[in-house]
Amino acid sequence: MPTPSDGSLFRRRSLLKAAGIGTAGAAGFPLLSACAEVSGGEGNVQEVDQTLDILPTYKEWPLPIEPDLVGEPPNHPSGYLAYPNPPAKAIANPPSNSGSYQVYVPNWGPALAKDDPYLLAMQEATGGTKIEFVQSDGEAFAEASTQWIQAEEFGDAIFMFGWMTNSHAGFNETVVNRFADISDIVSGDIAERWPLLAGRGDNAWADSVWSSDPEDPVGSAGIYGVPWGLLGGPSNAFFHRADLLAEGGFAVPTTVEELLETARAWSDDKAGRWAIGGTDYISKAWFRLEATGWLWDGSGLVHNYERSEFKEWVEFQRTLTDEKLRHPSVGSADFDGKTLHRTGEILFDQDGWSRWWQMTQEVRATGENPAFELGPVGALTFQGREPMYHSAWGVGGWLFFRKDLGEDAIAELLDVSNYVAAPYGTKEYETVQFGFEGQQFEYDADGRPALTEAGVRGFQDSLSYTAMSGTTEYLLEGPADVIEARFAFDEAILPYLDTNPFAGLRLTSPESGTNAGSVFDEKVNDIIYGRAELSELDGAVATWKSEGGDEAREFYEKAYKQLHGE
Amino acid sequence: MAVTAEPAAPTAAPPKTRATAPRRKPLRHRLRLDWPLVVLTVPALAQLAVFFYAPSAYSVIAFMDYSPYRSLWENPIVGFTHFQILFEDPYFVDALLNTLQFAFAQLLFVFPTSIGLALLMHSVISTKLRSTFQSIVYLPYFFSWVLVVSVFTQVLGQDGLFSRWLVGMGGDRLDIMRDPDSFMFLAWLQWTWKDAGWGMIIFLAALASINPALYEAAAVDGANRWKRLWHITLPSIRPVIVLLLILQLGSILSVGFEQYQLQRASVGWGASEVLDTFVYYRTILSANGESLGTAAGLFKGVIGLLLILAANNIAHRLGEQGIYQKS
Repeated sequence: MPTPSDGSLFRRRSLLKAAGIGTAGAAGFPLLSACAEVSGGEGNVQEVDQTLDILPTYKEWPLPIEPDLVGEPPNHPSGYLAYPNPPAKAIANPPSNSGSYQVYVPNWGPALAKDDPYLLAMQEATGGTKIEFVQSDGEAFAEASTQWIQAEEFGDAIFMFGWMTNSHAGFNETVVNRFADISDIVSGDIAERWPLLAGRGDNAWADSVWSSDPEDPVGSAGIYGVPWGLLGGPSNAFFHRADLLAEGGFAVPTTVEELLETARAWSDDKAGRWAIGGTDYISKAWFRLEATGWLWDGSGLVHNYERSEFKEWVEFQRTLTDEKLRHPSVGSADFDGKTLHRTGEILFDQDGWSRWWQMTQEVRATGENPAFELGPVGALTFQGREPMYHSAWGVGGWLFFRKDLGEDAIAELLDVSNYVAAPYGTKEYETVQFGFEGQQFEYDADGRPALTEAGVRGFQDSLSYTAMSGTTEYLLEGPADVIEARFAFDEAILPYLDTNPFAGLRLTSPESGTNAGSVFDEKVNDIIYGRAELSELDGAVATWKSEGGDEAREFYEKAYKQLHGE
Repeated sequence: MAVTAEPAAPTAAPPKTRATAPRRKPLRHRLRLDWPLVVLTVPALAQLAVFFYAPSAYSVIAFMDYSPYRSLWENPIVGFTHFQILFEDPYFVDALLNTLQFAFAQLLFVFPTSIGLALLMHSVISTKLRSTFQSIVYLPYFFSWVLVVSVFTQVLGQDGLFSRWLVGMGGDRLDIMRDPDSFMFLAWLQWTWKDAGWGMIIFLAALASINPALYEAAAVDGANRWKRLWHITLPSIRPVIVLLLILQLGSILSVGFEQYQLQRASVGWGASEVLDTFVYYRTILSANGESLGTAAGLFKGVIGLLLILAANNIAHRLGEQGIYQKS
């Protein structure tokens, strides 16, 4: 669940401080100490407070055209069936700037040359600000960024996805020591210069606040990043090749048992055909395992690892290995799910939602397979239990500025962020996401921008300007049939979306708990991929508890009890 | 006519003179003579000072509760706490044991392979054939580990060339790239392919310095190929073998990083965790990062130094030169 808009839980300013749990800041507020002599490694917690005075004053940025399908954002986003063509101009008068900056971004697509026509055109469109995007492979970026940030070698700004901060021990401390506090620049009424950033909303900006003094979390709070997209609804999807399922006479599975049945019937190891691709993060919900790892059982927190459902999940994963139902490269760096799914070497694969519309649009554009059809599998159940689907919540990432970057320079970069915050259906969004007509995209028969071959080769999935900010509102995109199907899927899945038991808190587990979890995960991977026996799981759980799991439980339980008044 | 020398009349015995070492020239004099050589060493010394000795001074943080957010002298001293944490960590022991296994496997199997390749190459008379073979053998050294692991995956992976051929023949897929039990063998294959050819070059240089007259004389005396190898070739390159062996012992706990990190997901951490990956995962990416990592680095350095000193001492006792001439 994303941060609820009613804010009922969070309008209790300094709730945690009053309750004695405190809010961590520059030095980290030790809740538990791993070692008497050595600091660092303590868990810490920060409150996400939407009532802080430092937040920009929210001013709605109304969509130029009402969407055709109106949902309940953020969990059930709206969408346009017909592309608003020509799209509305969100920024009437672009600013006039001339600065030159370097921004570090993770990237999964092609690397853009410094003089790429897209970058040059965007420089002009955004008001003259020249940005050199230093792009690195996303997985490597997550780990290397720990050193870049400590060494203060990340250009003028760096973009970090929320999940990447897990690689940074004590990230809350890093933020206030290494990044610029932009509160003075964005606080109050910013609608005149940055109307789109003002339309981002309190949820997004409150999630970009960190405190530098644990004794005074409100007084020392500052906005340290430009929020990326505010997440909501089903977090990821398990896609199936609908055309291949139909061709083989199979129905879309609704239970784990049916999935295994279909996989057994379709897979043929000798013929180089395996039904299943990636399942590691998507499949835990099928067994009702918690996204945060922790479940309140009425008297205390129980971790996924300790539950019988986890053992069932491990057994399921091991079955995929033993019966050769999963592509053999899954689990290694060589696994390329997108290509294997597109070519039909695998039937099912997990991914973010963009795969659905992007791959569909691409395959239709190339005409390589007219029958190609992708679709998401619903909330699978196991042994007849109630379905569950993991939801996305909070801000997806942040753009952080170098600590000593001047106010004028930050303001100039915020001009670009403001441009990028324009939502789907605007000219600005079109240029950021698709580039420029005749170069990176052409309008297809339905009037939608579709990447040209040059766009696919040099631009697709490439994170550059998209990193500068999230948009004012997330809207569904893609071909009309895909949007309709996604809209219906989101509506159907709403009752099964899980909720965040720690909503409103930014928690960092004690280091011992994180370490024990990493070691445990390695062991589970050994079991899943046949390098260890299932019988070793119980021993691994006992080790996890004693090596840090119980310490982590104590930390989370304290936070949970004080948050929920238990 | 025979001429006989008149015996010299006995004279007083010459005064006993004590053998003395030649008097060392004063430093000023030596500097005046050797200043061009001294100047030539300055860039190397500067490079060492800036990139090695100055950073090495920061090893002191292994004894501190270090935080990058405060100045060095503000960090409290915690003595050997980080070493204690390191030695009490059960995963450190596993990483150390794995490292030692890989190190000794490299010493036992890759080092001799380089010598063998050099001997083989030395015996090839055709220059064209030798240069072609030499290029093929040491080219992989210039490949990154990413490329090496990719090539091995394409050839020996479960969906690789060899597996497909086996399946086509009615067999099972090869599992060597994901099997922790055979990871040592896989690692050996990778080292050999990547590094053995490069290691051969120094031995080839040593072989080239052997006087050909020795072989000719031995051949005239009836020594066959094996006897010449045993009595001329190997003794001639022995100092180089000993020197390289000692140097390799010094870096015995540094078996590499990328090779193990890249294959960690495939074979599991239990088989692939070495000290460098341990440092990366347990210190660089954790809260105790800098101090614990430095403690692990110091540990490696101290062990390396002790091994070098011990091996050098043994080499001297056996009459070898070692890494320096014993005065």
